[in-house]
Amino acid sequence: MSVETTALLPAVAQGDLVAFEELYDRYSSTLYALLLRILGNPEDAQEVLQEAFVKVWTNATSYDASRGSEVAFLISIARSRGIDRLRSRKIRSDRENDAGREISVVSSFVENKTGADDAIQSQERKAVRGALAELPEPQRVALELAYFEGLSQSEIAARLGEPLGTIKTRMQLGMKKLRERLRAFKS
Amino acid sequence: MTHEEFDSIAALDALGAATAEEAESLTRHAAGCADCRRARDEYASAATMLASGLDPVAPPRDVRSRVVDAVREDALADVVDIDSRRGVNPWWLATAATLFLALWGWREVGIRVAREHVRNQQAELKELTEQNALLRHQKERLSAEMQALGSAGTQTIALSGQQAAPTASARVFLVPEHRRAIVFFSNLPDNAKDKSYQLWIIRADQPKPQSAGIFDASNGSATITIENLPVATEIKALAVTLEQRGGVEQPTNQDFYVLGKT
Repeated sequence: MSVETTALLPAVAQGDLVAFEELYDRYSSTLYALLLRILGNPEDAQEVLQEAFVKVWTNATSYDASRGSEVAFLISIARSRGIDRLRSRKIRSDRENDAGREISVVSSFVENKTGADDAIQSQERKAVRGALAELPEPQRVALELAYFEGLSQSEIAARLGEPLGTIKTRMQLGMKKLRERLRAFKS
Repeated sequence: MTHEEFDSIAALDALGAATAEEAESLTRHAAGCADCRRARDEYASAATMLASGLDPVAPPRDVRSRVVDAVREDALADVVDIDSRRGVNPWWLATAATLFLALWGWREVGIRVAREHVRNQQAELKELTEQNALLRHQKERLSAEMQALGSAGTQTIALSGQQAAPTASARVFLVPEHRRAIVFFSNLPDNAKDKSYQLWIIRADQPKPQSAGIFDASNGSATITIENLPVATEIKALAVTLEQRGGVEQPTNQDFYVLGKT
């Protein structure tokens, strides 16, 4: 899925601060966008971004290239920190009160897909968006609620007013399709 | 539980949506099953696609320095921790820490100076490239002018000063085969900054004058090259007026500075 770039995490794991700074420059925009999406406000997102990078610094030795890409490792740490912050500050309850906003945020991929800013997006991002846009709307919504808001299957079922089994099936089908697309990117 | 069922759990686990029991059973099973381990890792990578599809947003610049400072402190704390466990004298420790920070600061300054140097060189290169393009353009223009002046078929037209500038004059070198003309003006009053001179072609086949371009006079002189001229037989006269900066669609006055008929 990712473009070929020099791996930096092995050097970071050796305590190379220059490599760490390069790692920050390479991925901070991706992680910050993710944290803004999860937390909804810049102050929280910046604080968690800092925590996430410090965690990357201390946990770089646990990175195993055979299990996934460098960016996937970083995204996983940032997302996990973001969801922890979301839960601990009970931001979720505020967000739930703002149901109208949820829908527009959840649909952001599709809106952006056809936007005029496509010209400046990387081929990879376009391909990812294409893959996400190919998912049926109910599947994508279920995946995004779990991924960006850390909701459990039953919470998603309650939020969407759908049976638990339906939600579980949607999530599994959506993930299987994303996995297939990921394999296609890699090949 | 079958491999298919573990596959389904892995899909949910990648989103953090598997139950604690499901996640635990997957971990246990994957430890001894390479296929399910691979499926788990692939689902985890696939889940990150949801983040990869977002538009990147650059964090504020100060976040970078906060992150780097925090990591530097962490690195330093590691050094201190290791040394204190070895029973190193705190005075040496403080000296080492100071030295570390000084070296770090020196390195930072070095990097900034190098970056500034690169930026300056890039700016210089850009300027030279622009100058080169300008010189190339001037060379092409001069070549065209020389060709016009030296061509056997070149016709010349003299424009004489009018009431607005009685001593002004111009000479037009017309190259019909290339539909190009070069006009040299002399003794024209320098135009004000908010004004432009505009050269008009008065054609036999059209009721209104046609703009041939705008120009500025400097120390009484100016040169203008006209491309894609109408064929010579259609040009009845050439005239110059003073107009607002940037030129106008049609002349706004009859105060000709120079005028000449073919």
